[in-house]
Amino acid sequence: MSEKLTKVEFTNLDKILYPKLKITKRQVIEYYIKIAPKMLDLLVDRPLVLTRYPNGVQQEGFYEKDAPPGTPSWVETFRSYSRIAERELNYVVCNNLDTLIWLANLAALEIHMTLSKTSAFETPDLVVFDLDPKSPAGHDDAIEVANLLKEKLDAFGLKSYVKTSGKKGFHALIAIEEGHTFEQTRRFVQKIGESLKKQTDKVVTERAKSETPGKIYIDYVQNSHGRTMVCPYSLRATAQATVSTPLAWSNVRKGLNPETLNLFSVVKIADNPWRGLFQDKQKLGDV
Amino acid sequence: MMVEEEKSRVRKGSVWSGTITIGLVNVPVRLRTMIFDKSVTFRFLHKKDGSPLKYQKVCIKEDKVVPWQEVEKGYEVRKGEFVVFTDEELKAARPESDQRIRIDKFIDYLSIDPVYFDRSYILTPDNNSDAYSLLLTALEKMGKAGVGRITLRTKEYPILVHPYKGALVLTTLRYAYEVSDPSRLEEIKELKEPKKEEVDLAKKIITDLSGEFDITEYKDTFKQNIDELLEKKTKGETITVEKPVKEEAKELMVALQETLKQLKKK
Repeated sequence: MSEKLTKVEFTNLDKILYPKLKITKRQVIEYYIKIAPKMLDLLVDRPLVLTRYPNGVQQEGFYEKDAPPGTPSWVETFRSYSRIAERELNYVVCNNLDTLIWLANLAALEIHMTLSKTSAFETPDLVVFDLDPKSPAGHDDAIEVANLLKEKLDAFGLKSYVKTSGKKGFHALIAIEEGHTFEQTRRFVQKIGESLKKQTDKVVTERAKSETPGKIYIDYVQNSHGRTMVCPYSLRATAQATVSTPLAWSNVRKGLNPETLNLFSVVKIADNPWRGLFQDKQKLGDV
Repeated sequence: MMVEEEKSRVRKGSVWSGTITIGLVNVPVRLRTMIFDKSVTFRFLHKKDGSPLKYQKVCIKEDKVVPWQEVEKGYEVRKGEFVVFTDEELKAARPESDQRIRIDKFIDYLSIDPVYFDRSYILTPDNNSDAYSLLLTALEKMGKAGVGRITLRTKEYPILVHPYKGALVLTTLRYAYEVSDPSRLEEIKELKEPKKEEVDLAKKIITDLSGEFDITEYKDTFKQNIDELLEKKTKGETITVEKPVKEEAKELMVALQETLKQLKKK
């Protein structure tokens, strides 16, 4: 018999997790196996928070910050006090293929990651601009604002990377050098947001206005200790099994429909647009 | 049991020797084993000391092992009700092995359905090969096979003598009463005639999937796995028992192999 390819013991492979497209857990696991060569590099040493959907996306998932009971001993975990949860959490860390497959087998469809690594958990190594359009604003509005944001960051000499949120929005990221604080990154995002607000009336940055219809909310508060964003290449719990998909900026143009980037299509993309993300560690200047 | 005399006549490698008789013509032949059952068999062992276990005849009433002298044969006519036969009675009822394969007639080889085929033996010429060669050639040219009888040990069988790969092969057949007739089943009787378009579609699918038969394409996976394990075990390697990968996980294994290959390249 062939040597064992994975430590994971698969369960309930025929369970349908996306009823509309009749996608089974087997297909979800297959997706994560196939995307692993691109995805794993982006998860290294990063505490993860899971949203599990053991009964499919039509039912509410449950948020899991702690490694669940029964976590095998070979899964790496990271203990840290969470100010948000107000207790010590035991995060899952995904540094290898087996862990990713194990997460998929848990029906952890959505995998969220922190903006700092276990080695320096108190300080960020990523800055995220979360562009979240509120209906009737849609992905085309988000694309427009994302491009304005890119131009602005370019003007500061900052190289940014973009992905779809897996819903209507986009996430733009900057990898930063050691030595920044969350307070700095938060203020940076807020200031960029405010300057975008002067360029377009589509943007809001205040929490109080985050639900304003037709606006795109730039959530700078997300740049906080213990906060997470959905991982690049994570599935989303949407009817269409969409994926938070890293893209080249040149592809973020009007006409791009993020809903078409899903479990089936994303594995067919040959390009790896985020390959250089962590090689481009930058220093945030004054805005 | 074979009689002593018969045993001595059986040459090395053959299970029987005698003649094929067709009317007044005799073809001297030997019968060799053709079918080897290669399925995996295990012996039961005593866990404690690894010693093989033997079967014993235990009286159901007394719960005691019964010695051979106290054993007789009974035919169960109704549940728990037996008619006893003595060895003498059975011996007298058995046909005599007379070293003959009697051919009654010749038929088209393809006219007999394989459901009747039981076990095949290779026929080889004994002493004189001329008659053998002649019979073989004639059957090959006409596409015919001989039907007849043989008594092997103490059992009589209907048989077929037919050419196969340049030799004559004897195949024992099952008796008519040993094969049940499917047309008597209700589910079969009730079958409805399909529509013409459906038949056409089915015919198209069959045509598309048509190919040559190659039995070597089929392998016994259990046997292969056991053979591999045996090799490892006899070399003294320790075996870790794996849960079998279910058929349904196999496609995941294919994806896994590809991903592991890509991750290795990094």
